Amino acid sequence: MSSSLSPEGVDLSVQLAGMRLANPVMTASGTSGYGPEYAPFIDVSSLGAFVTKAVTAQERKGNPQPRTVETAAGMLNAIGLANVGLERFVTEKIPFLATLGIPVIANVAGHDPDEFAMVSARLDEIPCISGVELNVSCPNVSGGLDYSTNATQLEALVTTVRPRVRRAALIVKLSPNVTDIAEMARAAVRGGAEALSMINTLSGMAINVDTFRPLLANVTGGLSGPAIKPVAIRMVHKVYSEVARDAGVPIIGMGGIQNWRDVVEFHLAGASAVAVGTNLFVDPTTPNTICTGLRQFLADKGIPRLTDLIGQLRT
Amino acid sequence: MTVTVGDSPSPPRMLVGCVIANQALCREHFRLTLRTEAIENALPGQFVHLGPPSADAGDDVSRKGTSFAPIPLLRRAFSIAGMRLVEGDRCDIDVIYRVVGTATTWMASLRPDDAASMLVPLGNAFPVSKGKKYAWLVGGGVGLPPLLWLSEALNRSSRSVTAIIGARNRDLLALTFDESVEIPVDGYSASRVSAEFAANDTPVILSSDDGSVGFRGHAAAALETYYSRAGVAAGDLVVYTCGPELLMRAVARFCLDRSIECHVCMERAMACGTGTCQSCVVAVHEAGSPDGWRYELCCTQGPVFEAGRIVWPDSGGGVQH
Repeated sequence: MSSSLSPEGVDLSVQLAGMRLANPVMTASGTSGYGPEYAPFIDVSSLGAFVTKAVTAQERKGNPQPRTVETAAGMLNAIGLANVGLERFVTEKIPFLATLGIPVIANVAGHDPDEFAMVSARLDEIPCISGVELNVSCPNVSGGLDYSTNATQLEALVTTVRPRVRRAALIVKLSPNVTDIAEMARAAVRGGAEALSMINTLSGMAINVDTFRPLLANVTGGLSGPAIKPVAIRMVHKVYSEVARDAGVPIIGMGGIQNWRDVVEFHLAGASAVAVGTNLFVDPTTPNTICTGLRQFLADKGIPRLTDLIGQLRT
Repeated sequence: MTVTVGDSPSPPRMLVGCVIANQALCREHFRLTLRTEAIENALPGQFVHLGPPSADAGDDVSRKGTSFAPIPLLRRAFSIAGMRLVEGDRCDIDVIYRVVGTATTWMASLRPDDAASMLVPLGNAFPVSKGKKYAWLVGGGVGLPPLLWLSEALNRSSRSVTAIIGARNRDLLALTFDESVEIPVDGYSASRVSAEFAANDTPVILSSDDGSVGFRGHAAAALETYYSRAGVAAGDLVVYTCGPELLMRAVARFCLDRSIECHVCMERAMACGTGTCQSCVVAVHEAGSPDGWRYELCCTQGPVFEAGRIVWPDSGGGVQH
């Protein structure tokens, strides 16, 4: 298709639950620390948005090691929500994040609805935090799956947090480890979610055949990387077509994104924005090369705005 | 890029390295030399996070390279075994690796002019204590590489440096032997049998678990034997060690029991190498913490730790390793 559109003339900006992203590419929680870690490799302020590692009320040491292992086209992780805790996050990590000038989304985890609500409320008070993403589906913490696999509990959790988050966008991150992810999406939306992140890692396990022992100290972990991308695309398509489009709730698509082609797939399936996770470990500059590729792709197709791509799957 | 002990390292960069050589050193170990842009300052103990070059921005082509070896997804961390300025504005980086899995099988398939991607330099460096007249480097198996580069740096700082290097057997010692030099077996005397260490004016004591070369026993036993007759005061000595964790633990114990300064270079599986993925935790003592210990990251707070800080696996106290 020929067009006179130049890559520079393409508009990559996205409105997402009240946040304006200059481009659709965010970091996935837990893969980019608290911001400064990748500063030697990428201008962090060039991201569409920055998503922090999970924050819990108290500091957590996390699981014993080995915590990660590579598998075919992917990796398993069982970090166990290791993080500095709410107060150190506020005092030590926010100052850098406040300088970025892009939307910052804090990923929040907890043992129970009260912890989720307390941490979310505290972060909602911080001006540079534009969104709170509820990590209802960390598969590596005891009990962490309950909220993400039971629609009634998920709705109750989101309903509890909802009134405590007044300013920031309330985002719910969905687990793929369910029979019907659309049912979970509906529950999150009923509870008051303004956007849905999907998907979290798939539950998985790998075994050392020499020692007969699991390769992760935690025995099981979460599978991420290109191996899970087709699963994620299918789930985004399902939630977009069955829940999100009609509800007007945007989807942040993630799962195995390595390049701009993967991102185009997510947008076509219905994602309004995307997040890069595992591939940041491989190449921290991935978000920038994706944006360059997206501009060229859209210019070549004669599509002036990225938003024109969202949900345009032809079936 | 001249290594001056005590300088602080340059910030890490992502660079493409061009394979200059990829040579077998012994039965299972290879030395890969990659040429890249000059790095202003890197120090012994630091590492490179190495992987295939990135796929070309989404164009659906296989990754560059001529091999048909399985391609790993994640990078792997390797201590820098040597670094030299070449052609004025380029540098050569050596890593020594043992083929054990997908990533190292890919590395073994690399040929001259193939490309690899590097995050470099990463991690901290071996601290070099002023006032220590003697520096001993105790390495086992694939723990040898950082000590090779350290010997080069220490040699320039006019200390008396001795290397104590062990392996399971002679075939697994990744060193070039000078066949004209007799290899002592008593553990008391060092020789210049290793061309690599001899180039850094560092005599070496070799040990092997099966006695096929040098002292019979592991490197920590060789250290103990050598120390018993060396006549070196504990306060004048610093020991650097890298190798299997059991060896490093034995070396650390030996040193801590005698108040000898000791630094260990730890190994952990890591996904990012830059402090984000939280994979590579090392348990360290922390007096202020409720349970007396906490985790540090091997990638950014290590890989070099003062031996007394490490909570070794059999220390009890409920530490989760």
